[in-house]
Amino acid sequence: MNGWLWAATGLVVLMVPLLGVAVARRPLEGVIALQVAGTLAAVALLLLAEGTNRQAFADLALALGVLGQVGTLVFLRFLEGAR
Amino acid sequence: MREVAVYALAIAGGALATLSCAGVVLMRDGLDRLHYTGPAALGGACLAAAVLVEGGWSLIGLRAILLGALLLVTAPVVTQATAHAIHRRREDA
Repeated sequence: MNGWLWAATGLVVLMVPLLGVAVARRPLEGVIALQVAGTLAAVALLLLAEGTNRQAFADLALALGVLGQVGTLVFLRFLEGAR
Repeated sequence: MREVAVYALAIAGGALATLSCAGVVLMRDGLDRLHYTGPAALGGACLAAAVLVEGGWSLIGLRAILLGALLLVTAPVVTQATAHAIHRRREDA
């Protein structure tokens, strides 16, 4: 395992408490945690691509980066409409 | 020299990601948590820059540029939308 893979593992570990917040707290606070977790997941995929030298993971990182932000906006729209 | 830059960017990115995670977990209020989404995007951009410096102008490096730029541009928009939603929720309460 090289340094990039260790860094990606660290980011994945950081996502665990965020998922705890998403589960345990109120929905809008959960969306905040999911937003940060999505960012970390996208960067972790990019580091995985560099660590394994496979470009496909970088494509996944880019797709997750876009869809994560759009998904957060959709969640917010849904939560505003669910009042 | 390049290795030093890669290490510096990677450490800065990791530290910012850790700060962001700790802030979101430890803060008590929704708006307080929201302040800590910024360091995550900045940390992600630092890590993407580290990948770019390490790999150069490769296909992965190009994706790193796109991802870093995407995070820096979209994170403030999403943060503002979240703050707006929290504010409206409080007004209705």
